[in-house]
Amino acid sequence: MSKERRNLLLNIMGILVLFVILYLFNEYGTDYQIRILNNMAVFITLAVSYNLVNGICGILHLGPNAFITIGAYTSALLTMSAAEKQMTYIIVPLVWPLNVLHTPFVVSLLLGGLMAAVFAFAISFPVFRVRGDYLAIVTLGFGEVIRVLANALQGVTNGPLGLKGLVPYTNLWWSWGVAVLTIIAITKLINSSYGRAMKSIREDEIAARAMGIDPFKHLLMAFLISAFFCGVAGGLLAHLITTISPTLFTFFLTFNLLIIIVVGGLGSTTGAVIGAALFAWGGEALRIVERPTDLGFLKIPGIPGMRMVIFSIILMLVIIFARRGIMGRSEFSWDWLLSKLGWKEKGF
Amino acid sequence: MGDFFQLNDLVMQFGGLTAVKDFSIELQAGELVGLIGPNGAGKTTVFNMITGFLTPTSGQVRWQGEEITGFPVHKVTAQGIARTFQNIRLFTDLTVLENVMISFHQRIRTFFWEAMLGFPTYRREEKRIRESAMAFLQELGLAHLAKEKAGGLAYGQQRRLEIARALATRPKLLLLDEPAAGMNPQETNELAVLVRELRDKYALTIFLIEHDMKFVMGLCERIKVLDYGITIAEGTPAEIQSNQAVIKAYLGEPK
Repeated sequence: MSKERRNLLLNIMGILVLFVILYLFNEYGTDYQIRILNNMAVFITLAVSYNLVNGICGILHLGPNAFITIGAYTSALLTMSAAEKQMTYIIVPLVWPLNVLHTPFVVSLLLGGLMAAVFAFAISFPVFRVRGDYLAIVTLGFGEVIRVLANALQGVTNGPLGLKGLVPYTNLWWSWGVAVLTIIAITKLINSSYGRAMKSIREDEIAARAMGIDPFKHLLMAFLISAFFCGVAGGLLAHLITTISPTLFTFFLTFNLLIIIVVGGLGSTTGAVIGAALFAWGGEALRIVERPTDLGFLKIPGIPGMRMVIFSIILMLVIIFARRGIMGRSEFSWDWLLSKLGWKEKGF
Repeated sequence: MGDFFQLNDLVMQFGGLTAVKDFSIELQAGELVGLIGPNGAGKTTVFNMITGFLTPTSGQVRWQGEEITGFPVHKVTAQGIARTFQNIRLFTDLTVLENVMISFHQRIRTFFWEAMLGFPTYRREEKRIRESAMAFLQELGLAHLAKEKAGGLAYGQQRRLEIARALATRPKLLLLDEPAAGMNPQETNELAVLVRELRDKYALTIFLIEHDMKFVMGLCERIKVLDYGITIAEGTPAEIQSNQAVIKAYLGEPK
């Protein structure tokens, strides 16, 4: 048995164990626990795909909330029935052909991803003419444009009223299935020649060009793939919360994702997964701080938004004391785990 | 006139400053030609115009009978012109092997989705790239460092890795920008031997910039001298050594 075969087997076993755990939660867990696990999976998908652009290509892209919005609305519009749409769009009726289109959930997710990628393609030409801070500003602006459009285009998005009563299709299998597929696909891409080309642009764009790498082509590739998975995750999110409105997709969402990948370790998929899991779990665990507390001698009223303060403090601490985040740029590997467990390389 | 490689009257102006003026040269296949001149003479600017980092204000870059002036950098590389950098520009956080493997990417035949889905076609190509990259490392005596981070190498090794990386793009013309900078005399001698070997083995034409006169005079068959962007001399090493204009440019006028 070669090392590759062994690692493949271990990967399959790891995924099986994950799904057994999910099955147990699905059967015996509370709704609250299932909810956190769903959130965790969606954030893992988002963080891993966001990390492809920010961590691997080294581009400061601040507009993933735009692609999540596009994915969420596209997917939601496709799963709502014609009757539901008529009931929802009370001020301005939904434009044709969206008012009659109806697709199964999986198709709506894929189309949500594709739509996000189409928008990503459309803005890629102005975006990749600039680099660094300028690129950050352009993408940030795009995120805002999409949010404003979601508010204003009542005939498509129902404006500030949003879309309500979506069918809660997203369950543990969908959310974690997508998360696992995203991790596999993006990890394979990162470890391929294409991923190396993206990293070379991050390391030194001038040298990369001299070695025959076309920066535009590879940044575009990462940008589109990232947008696609963000769009799919947006669709999952819509059918998890079952109510979407433009206020859900502000810059805060991007900011949270940025915290996740920076704390996890910019450029590390493992770090993105750990960061997202901690964020989804921590976000719930930290609800304590927003609750009114009575310490006997001191009464603290509940302060909404306190969690964000704590997240910001964590981000600052990471930046000061662990500049490369939890994982740095390293990745989890079975070789590493087995050697930690005292596994000796045998004859194979 | 051979049409292997020609520069015709290249001019590069930055605002009011003329960095290079009317630079012309013709290289025959297999030649080893040097470009020297005092600091700021415009040598690297010539390289940048050849490789597409700068678009010349006027003049032509002709390669194998076709004009490639103003081509994007990666297309120039794809044509078979590779370069190294004066201030080393390795992908420092990647391994030595990965640095060389990147040079093979421009010729990749499988698509990104084949890599994402783990197709056997991609895996075969990855294996082929890895093996060929290892061969180049072997060639330059860096194979034992394959898994090290490029940024952790000693200075001389980094210079060699730059050459390995440029070679791996399979060039016909190799531009070396101060390959011996910062090397001790022994390393410089080894480098001269290596450059000659590589030229013979890979049928390269080499055009190099260097400040180390012993290195240039011993290695190059023909030398061109730039001063303030103007070509002041051209000829064999012996001719250059006795050229009054060159001596003046380097040492100043005798009082």
